[in-house]
Amino acid sequence: MSTKRISKELRDIERDPPTSCSAGPVGDDLYHWQASIMGPPDSPYAGGVFFLSIHFPTDYPFKPPKIAFTTKIYHPNINANGNICLDILKDQWSPALTLSKVLLSICSLLTDANPDDPLVPEIAHIYKTDRPKYETTAREWTKKYAV
Amino acid sequence: MELDGNTLIFIILILFLFFSSPGGNGVTSQYEFNQLHLFTQQLETEYSTFQNLTYNSNFKNITGLKLSYHDVAENALINATYPIDSKNYEQWYNNENYLIMPDEITQIIGDSIWNITGNGEENIFPPIITSTLLGTITLNSNDKYSRLRMPFANFYEPPRDFSDNIPPVGDTYMDDWEDYNEIHNVTFAKGEMKVQFTHVDKVFTSLQGKKKKYFNSQDENWKLLNVKVDFTDKNENEKHSINTLGVYDIKTGRILAMSESAKFHSLFALPHYMGIGMTKAGQKQTFEQSKKLINEYWNTSKYIDTLTMGYINTLYDDAIEKCEFMMFFQLKPWNQYNKDQLKIIDDELKWPLGRPANLTHVPDIVVTSGMVYSPDCGISLSTNDIHGERYELKIRSIRIHMLCGIFLFAAQIYLLLRQMQHTNTPSSVNKISFYTFCMINLVDGCLATLYFISATLVPELYLPLVISAFASFILASIFETRYLISVYASQVNERNVGIITLLRGRTEDPDAANERPVVIPDEASISSSLYGRFAFTLITFTFLILNSMSWPRHFRIIFEYSAIFILNSYWWPQVFRNAIKGIPSRRERERIENLANRRQNKVPLLWKFIIGTTFIRTLPIIYFFTYSSNIFRHHKDTRFVVILSLWLLFQIVVLYSQDILGARWFLSQHTIPEGYSYFKPVSLALLKEHGDIDDMADTANKGSSGDHPHNIIAKVDCAICMSEVPVYVEELPETHGVDIHDYMVTPCNHIFHTLCLENWMSYKLQCPVCRAPLPPC
Repeated sequence: MSTKRISKELRDIERDPPTSCSAGPVGDDLYHWQASIMGPPDSPYAGGVFFLSIHFPTDYPFKPPKIAFTTKIYHPNINANGNICLDILKDQWSPALTLSKVLLSICSLLTDANPDDPLVPEIAHIYKTDRPKYETTAREWTKKYAV
Repeated sequence: MELDGNTLIFIILILFLFFSSPGGNGVTSQYEFNQLHLFTQQLETEYSTFQNLTYNSNFKNITGLKLSYHDVAENALINATYPIDSKNYEQWYNNENYLIMPDEITQIIGDSIWNITGNGEENIFPPIITSTLLGTITLNSNDKYSRLRMPFANFYEPPRDFSDNIPPVGDTYMDDWEDYNEIHNVTFAKGEMKVQFTHVDKVFTSLQGKKKKYFNSQDENWKLLNVKVDFTDKNENEKHSINTLGVYDIKTGRILAMSESAKFHSLFALPHYMGIGMTKAGQKQTFEQSKKLINEYWNTSKYIDTLTMGYINTLYDDAIEKCEFMMFFQLKPWNQYNKDQLKIIDDELKWPLGRPANLTHVPDIVVTSGMVYSPDCGISLSTNDIHGERYELKIRSIRIHMLCGIFLFAAQIYLLLRQMQHTNTPSSVNKISFYTFCMINLVDGCLATLYFISATLVPELYLPLVISAFASFILASIFETRYLISVYASQVNERNVGIITLLRGRTEDPDAANERPVVIPDEASISSSLYGRFAFTLITFTFLILNSMSWPRHFRIIFEYSAIFILNSYWWPQVFRNAIKGIPSRRERERIENLANRRQNKVPLLWKFIIGTTFIRTLPIIYFFTYSSNIFRHHKDTRFVVILSLWLLFQIVVLYSQDILGARWFLSQHTIPEGYSYFKPVSLALLKEHGDIDDMADTANKGSSGDHPHNIIAKVDCAICMSEVPVYVEELPETHGVDIHDYMVTPCNHIFHTLCLENWMSYKLQCPVCRAPLPPC
């Protein structure tokens, strides 16, 4: 069941790729994908390309896919290991969600961080108290790791 | 290292406690030291008196033996201070002028108890008789005979206040006490008796000694035994237990044991009483040999040097709380064997090497006749039908039974694995009853703990016990708990839903459902909480079982029967679960399967599993309740087993009827109002709303062209698998070939494949598209 659905999603993404995102399987393994997200232009991540690794569980779509950034990124909701704090990837998952929808949500997370539910409290603190400093650091990191 | 004052004081305190703790003899005060000293003196005097005792002279200054039955019969309040004027100490006859029991009893012992004298035909008795014998005991009389006065020295009494240093002198006559009769009597007419014989071959030679030493030079003919006797009435309201030393004469099969206390130093009395009913020459030989046995025991074990406070206290307590008992047992000879054969049997039992000893035919140790007499309470009892297996044989048979038990565990594991394979999808696991497996798991877990505990208690059975414990532990905590976790996980969204809601399949208050926190709990958190709960229940239940063993028989049996009965009702929760899930009847399932073979429509439990599990679990109960010489000597109660089997059969019949007639046949439609049905035709408006107008128009045109009248023409996308769902549309007759059980329509009008939505509903009762709450189905 999961194979059918994943290949269906792959076909959909190939036919109608979402803006500023791309995704596809790594090698022959349909359950292990790689995706890339372009930094949104209105964010300090503009100009960077961020890579993510995606693992589909065998009971997909009943369990959410495991998504993590492989490119280092300075963001209150993404930690040094690349783990993303996003509710739809955890308890708010619904089988009607697709990978492209999830990637779009991650894009919008890059534009609008959620400092009230942070994964890295230090970054969240700077985000809330010293926004210019946060943007400078984020831009530096993007330049350093994502260009 | 720096030491501050407090640490130093603490260390000194610890060292003080360490060095000032009582030594091996348990003396903690000056008073106790004096007590032990007086006790040692008393025993030394008595031992030297015993040394001078011959088969032809009377006891002199030995505690409990100063008076004879005749003395008391003449003057009930006679003072037992040695020497008594009227007494002749220089001769001995086995009559009531010398013995502490009446002639009537002596007569019975000589004639009908110890009647195998060994003078005529040669009888062969088993040399080793370690065993537990069970039988019954009958009261002959408890008021017919005079009570022998047995005073005890006052120094046994505990100190009256802390400043007391010197124990009191003089004797106490307990029979003057007012409540003496209440405590010291046997009031039941018939009771049960348990006798345990253990051989005392080796003794410790000092208080803290690690090594044991053999002492018996007449091992061929005489044995020193540890005799434990318990007798109680049927309901265990009154219990008498005696734990003492006894002497076994292998030539004649006589066993004599007398209780020991502060008022009766029975060890010294054994040689004289062993000769009852014998000729003068026989008496002499018996007396000298048994005296030698006691002397060897006394000297090798350094009896005087190894006295402890604990021993004094036991003697004192026994003197106050118990009657003294003299027990005369006659063993049944094993004349079918000769001495060599007996030796082979004993060696084979001790070190099994496969000698030609036919161990399956070794007879029971049987006490053909026995007499219990209490001199100080005047009670006479006789024993009936006391027999039991040799300890080693018993251990062997337990081992064999435990192997069968391990086989049953293996069979249960196999069945459970088949059952787990059978229900491998969340929706099928969902139909399993959590509580059915809880009950099964509780029993297995309990067995595992009990096996572990007994493995530490019975070293002879360590290996089979540990293997059984391991097998039941694997079954309970790996397979069953894993299965329980998956059952629990698949039903977690129903936790807060009432039964009626589950039956109706409709949420009564959608707002309330919304408020419920919707979390997908991961298996790790479920398993940790479940393991915790099970460990707690298990420990509680195991302690209850262990505790119940010391309850009075009446309560114990009520507990045992009700526990067995409740724990064997394990199919009822499944019956209930089937009814809630509304498993359709067999015919209905077959119909559905023919229509759409994609959908799984299985009975939740395999019939193989149901029958096998019931069988495996009832077999041991049947064994213990119907086979009267079972390994635990559990009482026979066929009626209970029949009722229990019928009860289990009834459960299986109900399960079968649910399988045939549908799970809700016993509930009238009235009680379960028709709830929300996910299976219904789709209206054209709904189809249009879902944006499939073009498709539909297309297919509708195709359909109307008449080329493919049976083609599925109305379709909706299933958001879960992202493929098309053919639907039955009322207004379009062309779509009427679609089975409405193939798809589900939510109350929020979203359409999914049945398989997809059922699968998702085992995780969360929430619409995947709009997150509206879903009624359980």
